[in-house]
Amino acid sequence: MASDLLSIAASGAKAARLALDVTAQNIANASSDGYVRRSVRLEELASTGGFGRIGDVSLSGVRLDRVMRNADTFRQAEVRRTGADAARGRAEVAGLENVQTAVEQSNVYPSIVRFEASLQQLASDPVDPSLRAAVIEAARTMTRTMNIAATSLDAAGNGLRFEAGDGVSQINNIAIELGRVNLRLARASDASSDQTALLDQRDMLLERMSEFADVSATINADHTAEVRLGGSAGAQIVTGGTTASLAMTTAPDGTLSFAVGAAPVTLSGGSLAGKAQALIKLADVRDRLDTIATGVIATVNAAQAGGIALDGSAGQPLLAGTSAATMALALEDGRKIATAPAGAGANSRDASNLTALRGALGASDPAGAMDALIFDISGTVAGRTVTRDALDTIAGNARIALSAQAGVNLDQEATNLIRYQQAFQASAKAIQIASNIFDTLIGLR
Amino acid sequence: MTISSTSTSAFYERATMDLSALRKQAEGLQGQLSSGSRLSRSSDNPVAASRLRTLARATEMSNVDVANANRATADLKLTDTALSTFADYVTRARELTIQASNGTLTTSQRASIGGELLQIHGSLYALANTRDSTGHALFGGQTAGSAYTLDGAGNAVYSGTATTEDLPLGDGQSVKRGLTGPEFLGFSVNGNPTDLMAVIKTLGDALMGAVADPAQAARDALSPLSDALDTVTTGQTQIGARLAWIELTNDRRTTLSELHAGEEADLGATDLGSTIAELQQVMLVLEASQASFVKLASLSLFELIR
Repeated sequence: MASDLLSIAASGAKAARLALDVTAQNIANASSDGYVRRSVRLEELASTGGFGRIGDVSLSGVRLDRVMRNADTFRQAEVRRTGADAARGRAEVAGLENVQTAVEQSNVYPSIVRFEASLQQLASDPVDPSLRAAVIEAARTMTRTMNIAATSLDAAGNGLRFEAGDGVSQINNIAIELGRVNLRLARASDASSDQTALLDQRDMLLERMSEFADVSATINADHTAEVRLGGSAGAQIVTGGTTASLAMTTAPDGTLSFAVGAAPVTLSGGSLAGKAQALIKLADVRDRLDTIATGVIATVNAAQAGGIALDGSAGQPLLAGTSAATMALALEDGRKIATAPAGAGANSRDASNLTALRGALGASDPAGAMDALIFDISGTVAGRTVTRDALDTIAGNARIALSAQAGVNLDQEATNLIRYQQAFQASAKAIQIASNIFDTLIGLR
Repeated sequence: MTISSTSTSAFYERATMDLSALRKQAEGLQGQLSSGSRLSRSSDNPVAASRLRTLARATEMSNVDVANANRATADLKLTDTALSTFADYVTRARELTIQASNGTLTTSQRASIGGELLQIHGSLYALANTRDSTGHALFGGQTAGSAYTLDGAGNAVYSGTATTEDLPLGDGQSVKRGLTGPEFLGFSVNGNPTDLMAVIKTLGDALMGAVADPAQAARDALSPLSDALDTVTTGQTQIGARLAWIELTNDRRTTLSELHAGEEADLGATDLGSTIAELQQVMLVLEASQASFVKLASLSLFELIR
């Protein structure tokens, strides 16, 4: 079979047009989410010599072999892995910052100090009604700030659990979506634009899912994705077209646990893991705040019980409640503060029971415990912030590495436009020459 | 073929990330300048924040200690003044007693001296019941009522408590805020405990004619009276020493609070000079990156290809 210059040139022009189409598609999608840069692979069209035709020159031009999708599975997996870690870091720091704000900005620490200071002031004149009133007010402030701290912690916990619940439903939606994409991928023909679009969608869904949990994806030969949650040994959530459902359980102390179907899952990445970790810290902080509150209540009331009030009656409990949230003032009357020791009469100026109370408070040191608690949280926040920033940088670099390869570079596309335009023009020239040759042959006299 | 190392969207993404990071840094520095505090949250520097809390607690307690020290100082000064008056009365009583011990005086002259001594007894009794700055008995220890009461025979009887309470001055230090009556009025004569007011009352009664030899009674009273003066001046010395002690703790507290304030400033306050310089630097970098971003972003092949 002889070569045909006209058809060779025509195939070249056609291939250049296709390449220009792909370039235009790339430019149009330069900022589309999840779009992976396409490039064309051209292949020479030539028939090899057959029997009896050895040495035959048979050139048939060029053809579009396939439109390539420039995605690197390794870099994509890295983006998912580092993205999940960064999302966990961000969620944990955000949650812990809320916990810190709840405990610190509620001013529990200054209010405990003020209560101690008011008791010390009362020692200068234990029968002074205004100093007694100051103690009652300081105690009231202390109980209120404890209540505020407990309420803020609850609010922070509720917010975290709500967001985690939302994350779980997002994961389930994405899983269902992935299932559908898997079904269509299994049917799509190779290298079709339908398939490339579906692959884009599959990768984007996987990346979105990795925001919420650590996802381990295996890509099968038919390009469908098998997804496990909680690392490569975790529970399978997407298998082909079938999806399992992620469920979240809240323990009585507010901490979270996850399960896919009936199999429990330990998430170590993604925002869900971060929120779960923040909630564990929150439960711990809540516990310690309650311990401080009950400690103050017990110390103050024990001292009250051992003394005599200004009117000569036996001391009654000053504080009520069993936790930071329920801590309240039980006495409104400053005269009921039992400063005098047992056996003293009414209006006694003997302050030895007050001294005992101050001694007991000094020994149990609620302000010191509160300081330690705030230090613990803020230290955790500071440490986790460093981790988060590091994870963010790593994730950012992984994303940039991926998009350097998979993203659209407009300069490169501009170059391609010129290159394929020139190729098109050259093929057109070849057609013209073929026509000229034909004319020459026809015009032979 | 790759023209630049990254895709267009990655270029914009990275530029946004860098610019917003710089902006955040500048805003943080601006926040430090406007609030005057380097730490807006504990997590900015947990150790410094914890130290600041401890310092704030020390300052709060120190304020109460200052109030307590002022109260103690006021009471001790009142005591000091009262003791001076006591000493004056004792001196006057001694003069009168020396006069009365003169054998040449007539009975009526001695009786008038005795009358004056009884007046002095009355004044001493009133003085012993002085109230302190909070309205409590100054010399009654911790009693809720008066320090001295008169019994049926007109003798002053101490009805306060045995000791005065300690007033905390902070850092584990304390001071007794006054003296009880018996501490500076009581002494013993030949091993028998008595007190100033009893001596003067007895002497006054004796000079009024309660004993056969009033002149001898006056001579006998001279030595107890000088003992009484000694006790009162000893009391005054004690008060002076306590005032000096409070002064000392005040000085110490002032020094400590200066140290605390200095440490607070070191830990938490913004160092204006360095922060402004740092802000200037960040602003410069931010402006430079903005300018270079605009330049780079406008650098497109499409602009150049015609």
